[in-house]
Amino acid sequence: MSFRSVFIAVVAAFALIVAAFLINRARPRVETEQPTADFVRASGKCAECHARLQYSVVHEYEMSAHAKKGVNCLDCHQPAAGQEKMDHHGFTISKHLTAGNCRSCHEGIYQEFLRSRHAAPSWAAVFGAAGLTKEQVAFSEQFQPGGTNRAPNPLVTPEGHPAVNSGCEQCHAVGKPNDDGTIGTCTQCHSRHTSSVELARLPTTCAQCHMGPDHSQIEIYSESKHGIMFAAQRNLLKLDADPRTLTTRDMFVPTCATCHMSGINGLKVTHNPSDRLSWYLADKITTRRPNYQQAVINMKQVCTQCHTQGLIDRVYTQADAIVAQTNDKVKVAQDIMDGLHKDGTLSSAAFTQPIDFTFFNLWHYDGRTSKHGVFMGGADFVQWHGNYELFAKTVELKHQADALRKEHGRK
Amino acid sequence: MAANNLIARGRALITHPRMRWARDPQLWVELFVTSNLLVLAADIYIAHSVNQFRKAAEYIPLYFSIAAPIALAIVIALRWIWRIHAPWRDIGYLVGWLAILVGLAGVLYHLESRFFLDRTLKSLTYAAPFAAPLSYTGLGFLLLVDRMVEVRTADWARWIIAMALGGFLGNFVLTLTDHAANGFFAQTEWIPVISSAFATGFLLVPLITNVTRRYLDLCLIVMILQALVGVLGFWLHLRANLIEPGASLWDRLVNGAPPMAPLLFPNLVGLALIGLWGLIPHVPEAPQGTSWLGATYAWAQPDNDE
Repeated sequence: MSFRSVFIAVVAAFALIVAAFLINRARPRVETEQPTADFVRASGKCAECHARLQYSVVHEYEMSAHAKKGVNCLDCHQPAAGQEKMDHHGFTISKHLTAGNCRSCHEGIYQEFLRSRHAAPSWAAVFGAAGLTKEQVAFSEQFQPGGTNRAPNPLVTPEGHPAVNSGCEQCHAVGKPNDDGTIGTCTQCHSRHTSSVELARLPTTCAQCHMGPDHSQIEIYSESKHGIMFAAQRNLLKLDADPRTLTTRDMFVPTCATCHMSGINGLKVTHNPSDRLSWYLADKITTRRPNYQQAVINMKQVCTQCHTQGLIDRVYTQADAIVAQTNDKVKVAQDIMDGLHKDGTLSSAAFTQPIDFTFFNLWHYDGRTSKHGVFMGGADFVQWHGNYELFAKTVELKHQADALRKEHGRK
Repeated sequence: MAANNLIARGRALITHPRMRWARDPQLWVELFVTSNLLVLAADIYIAHSVNQFRKAAEYIPLYFSIAAPIALAIVIALRWIWRIHAPWRDIGYLVGWLAILVGLAGVLYHLESRFFLDRTLKSLTYAAPFAAPLSYTGLGFLLLVDRMVEVRTADWARWIIAMALGGFLGNFVLTLTDHAANGFFAQTEWIPVISSAFATGFLLVPLITNVTRRYLDLCLIVMILQALVGVLGFWLHLRANLIEPGASLWDRLVNGAPPMAPLLFPNLVGLALIGLWGLIPHVPEAPQGTSWLGATYAWAQPDNDE
C-alpha cells in the first residue's frame, strides 16, 4: 500500500470535513446552537429550537408572567399524574396538556374552578354525564345540583356529531373530562403560552362562548354603560394587574371578570363564577341558587366598589321583578306545551314540530335575554330582544297550538 | 474437511460456465441501474404526491422510472440468456440518454423552487431539491459507460468509481445542508458528513493516481463503514419519526427525517464495490502477497474463465 495514496485520501477527506465545520461555524448562532437535554431541564431553553419552528409560541411565552418568574417550558410540559408521556429530544414531556399540569402550581384555583358551572356541568350540558366518572358527577352535584347528573342535550342527536363537535364542544370543552382524571383546560380563557391574566380579563375572551341568541352576555355588555366605558377607556386600564392586589384604580371600568371573579380592592378572588350569582338565569324557569343569600352579598360587595348602595338595591329589585315576570311568561307557554303533550296532540320526541322550536326559542333565547339584560344593564335586551320577543312568540305559540288541536280534532 | 468441501463446491458453482453472468461486473452495473430506477419510481411518487402532481411534467420521471426498468430488464434478459446483443445496446443507449435528459430537465424544473426566492439553507432543504434529479443523469451515464467503454478495462472501472464518488460527494453536500438546517441538533448528525467525506477522499485516489491492492482493501473497509452508517441513519431517521410529535406517522415519514435517504450510502457502496472489483486486475500486487479483494478476485475469476 502506498503512503501517497492514503495520504491523498485522508487529506481530501479532512479538507472536506474542515470545510464543512467552517461553513457550519460561519452560520448565524441562532441556527447552529442547540441545547442539550440537561441544559433544557436546567434553563427551559426549549426556545432555542422552537424559535425556529414556532416563533410566536416562544414570543408569547417571553411576554408571560410565567417567563418573568422563571417558570420554564418543562415545568408545564412535564407529564402530570395519569398523563400520556412522549419522548422529545431526550426528555419526557406530556402528550396532551390539561388542567392537571396547571394545578401542580395552582391547586387552589383548580379547586375553585372544579366547583363552578364552567367545570363538569358545562360539559354535561351537551354530552350528559356519560363521559364523566361517578366521582366527578357526585362531586359536582354537591355544588351545582342537577348540573351534571343529566342526559345529553336533545339537540345532539338531530344535529349530528360533526356539528356538535365543531360547534357546541368548542365552548363546552371548558369542562371536558381529561384522560388524567382532571376536568377542563385553563388555556380556554388564559391562552396557552401567554397564560395571560390580561387576556382572561378581556370581555372578548368571555365572548368566545357567551354570545349569540342563547346567552348574549357580550352583546348586552357592549350596549351597557360598562361596555361603552370599556370601549372608550380600555387603554387606561391595567388589565394585567396582579389579581391579589387589584384595585379600582387598575380596573375603574369593569369587565366580565371584574364582577364575576376578580378580587378587586381586597375582595376574594374566585375561579368559580357562580360564587356571585344568585339565580339560575339560564334555566327555563329561573330558581334561586342554593347559596342565594351569600351570592347576593358577594356580588353587591363588588358593586359597592363603584356604586352607592341605593342604586345597587334598585337594580336588584328591578332584576328580581323581571325574573319573576319572565318566569310567569315562560310558565304560560310551558302550560300550553304540557297541555298538548297531555292530550296527545304532540309527540314526546323533541324538536320534531315547528311549535317545539317556537317554545325553545321563547325560553332559551328570549327568556334568558330578558333576564340577563336586566342584571347587566342592557335595556334593549330587556325590551326588544327579550320581552317583545317573548310576547310575540307567546302569541305565535298559541296560534300554533290551536292549529294543532284542530288538526287532531280536539277542542 | 467438510468446510473445505463446501468452499470448493461454492467455487465450482461460481466458476461454472453457466454462471458467467455472476462474474460479470458489466451486468452488475446494469442491474444496479435497473433496481435504482425502480426505487426512484417509488421515491418520485411519494415526493410528487406531496405536491399533488400539480404540473403534468411531474408525471414524466414517474412514468420513465416505471417504463425504463421494464425495458432494461427485458434487454438484459435477452442478452444474458439468449445472447441477443443488439436490443441491449440500442435500448440501453435510448434509456441512458433519456435518463440524462430527464435528470437535466428535472434540475431546470426544480430551479423554480422556493430556494431561489429567499436563498436560505432551510428553503434549500425543504424546497424541491434541485440536485436530486441528477440521480437520473448519473444512472444514464452509467448505462452509457457500460456500452461506450470496454468492460474489464481500467478505464471502465475508474468511470464506475467516479460515478460512486460523485454520489458520495452528493451525500456529503446533502447531509451537510440537511443536518445544518436542523442545527445539528444531535451530534450523531455529523457522522454521515464525516463518513461521506472519507468515502469521497478514498474513492478519489484511484482516479488520480496508481494504487495497490492493499489500498483497495482499505477502500473496502471504508465502504463497509459507509454501509453501516447508512443502516444506522435509516434507524435514527425512522426512530425520530416514531417519537416526534406530528399529525400522523405517515405525515412525519413524508415530511420528517426521510428514512430511506440514508440508504443511499449502502446503495452507493454497491456501485463503488463494482468499480473497485473491476479495477483489481489492473492494479499490481506490490509487494507480492495477499489482499482481501485480490484474493477474492483470484478465487472467483480463474484464468480459464474467458
